[in-house]
Amino acid sequence: MGSSLKILQIKEFLEETFKILFYYRARVVFSLSGVALGILSICVIITTIDGANKKAYEIFEALGPDSIMIFSGSERQRMARERVITLTYRDAESIERVEGIYDITKTYSVRGLIMRYRDRKWQTNVIGSTENYFDAYKWNLYMGTVFKRDDVLNVEPVCVIGYKVYDELFRGEEAVGKTMVIGRLHTRVIGVLEEKGGAAGGPHIDDRVVMPLSTVTSKLANEKRYVGALRVKTTRDVDATIEDIKMVLRKNHGIKGEQDDFTVRSSRDMLQFMSVISGSLFLFLGTASVVALVVSGFVLANLFYLTIQERKKDIGIRRAYGASKKGILLSFLFESVFITFLGGISGIILNLLLQGIFERLFDIPMEFSFKVVVFALLFSCLTGTLSGLKPALKASRIEPIEAIRG
Amino acid sequence: MITLKDIKKSYFIGERELPILKGIDLSIKAGELVILMGVSGSGKTTLMNIIGLLDKQTEGEYFFMGKSVNGMDDESLAMFRNEHIGFVFQHFFLLPYLNAIENVLIPIIYSKKNIRHPRDKARQLLARFGLAERIHNKPSQLSGGEQQRVAIARALINDPDLILADEPTGALDSKTGNEIMELFSILNNDGKTVIVVTHDPKLAQFGKRLVRIEDGIISEDTAN
Repeated sequence: MGSSLKILQIKEFLEETFKILFYYRARVVFSLSGVALGILSICVIITTIDGANKKAYEIFEALGPDSIMIFSGSERQRMARERVITLTYRDAESIERVEGIYDITKTYSVRGLIMRYRDRKWQTNVIGSTENYFDAYKWNLYMGTVFKRDDVLNVEPVCVIGYKVYDELFRGEEAVGKTMVIGRLHTRVIGVLEEKGGAAGGPHIDDRVVMPLSTVTSKLANEKRYVGALRVKTTRDVDATIEDIKMVLRKNHGIKGEQDDFTVRSSRDMLQFMSVISGSLFLFLGTASVVALVVSGFVLANLFYLTIQERKKDIGIRRAYGASKKGILLSFLFESVFITFLGGISGIILNLLLQGIFERLFDIPMEFSFKVVVFALLFSCLTGTLSGLKPALKASRIEPIEAIRG
Repeated sequence: MITLKDIKKSYFIGERELPILKGIDLSIKAGELVILMGVSGSGKTTLMNIIGLLDKQTEGEYFFMGKSVNGMDDESLAMFRNEHIGFVFQHFFLLPYLNAIENVLIPIIYSKKNIRHPRDKARQLLARFGLAERIHNKPSQLSGGEQQRVAIARALINDPDLILADEPTGALDSKTGNEIMELFSILNNDGKTVIVVTHDPKLAQFGKRLVRIEDGIISEDTAN
């Protein structure tokens, strides 16, 4: 009997709360949307960072843990995006002789080339590489085929295009066997790469054209000595191999104690590099969304404060009829938390709705998870408690006789 | 039912003491219908607040059903009010976002009593007061007299021992006011103890006992 009364009381209390919220709906909608936007930004941050990390891991996986990348230019020069070219074919040969190295992919890229197909134009980077490029990056084909060792040896004017380029120039039409013009070179499209999707902040992975290295260096760049970048695999310990590669290159380049004019990185380094990016991104965006949430909390608190005056008689009558100070405090706090909780849920729903649009618009992968829900609801309830506390305290301190007077 | 012994109440404005009640001795038995009359400033509202346990006396002792209620804390006072007292106010004080029946059920939310089927009981009370067709109306859709009857139903839902009405006819025209007073008489005939606080001499005729308060003391206490 006692428990059924309790249930009835809770039911009445909840029904009443809904009615109060409906009665003050303008205020509720206002506070709720503020919280929803704050929560949305938190959701976006978490999903974006998770998405970036996932992408980074995918790249790491694709490269393989035994991969080593060698670039021209010092670490500092690369950071400053200074284009220097120091790696030679002789370097590549020396590296191939380092113990444990079994697979070497040479690339040479030319930036910003204009390509034409019929009346359509597109500008992008062309990567010249060896036939093992596609295996090395675990890149599958959308249609057609890739170039072979013979194509590289015979300097064939053939190309495999990224999905973005395919989309821009061929727009869904058949591309394999068609001829397009890259710079002034007529090349035959033999394949289209599968779409991979972009990584946060980075260049578009699908916006590229891959050609035999020999074709690029002799027909597009007229480069006989230098190679752009190397990617090797090792059967030995990655760090030990890196040290050996560095020694070989220093010897070749005559570097004795000065700064290296090349950069060697393992795929693990690349992963760390990307995690660092998302770390600072988190700090920046996290601060922004906390500010958004605090502002919405203030809005909520103020609107709440205003209605207390209006609801003085309401409080008085409840106190006269048996509500204690604590009871009033809790019911007002519940109301506030309830609003922000709804705001949190709206934020999560908004995030889910906008996720697809964000991914398409800004080309950032997002990864929604249970963690996002927990964080969002935690933060929204925290906002509700903090911003509702002071108004609720004020409400609980209203004495019934002063409320009822007049 | 209630016994007040030498109740004094003063307000302090800075250092100055402003005595409102100057020693009230009053005893009200179960089943009485008392009209507590006084002009504005006589101290009748303060006395009502003390009887209703909404305010505390500065001096003196108050017994409710033989139990001393002096020095009870906020929580127990709230529970005590819920259990024993039903309030009716001049301006009805119905909650605007609730309909008639939901307003009647407010005391139930805070109640520890085992009221059986409170919703049915609320419906019966409203029907008895001629509001059977109005139970789903919001206060704004009800007339003053109807609102006050809803408020009286609210005062009765939790089976209180005492009905305390503060100027219950003050916001109503005299015909409707008389109807409300008739209602209190009926409730009293059913055995409820009722105290009506008013300044309006015309209401004296409805009571079985008239207590007049003047300048903080009881100046008249007569049975009708």
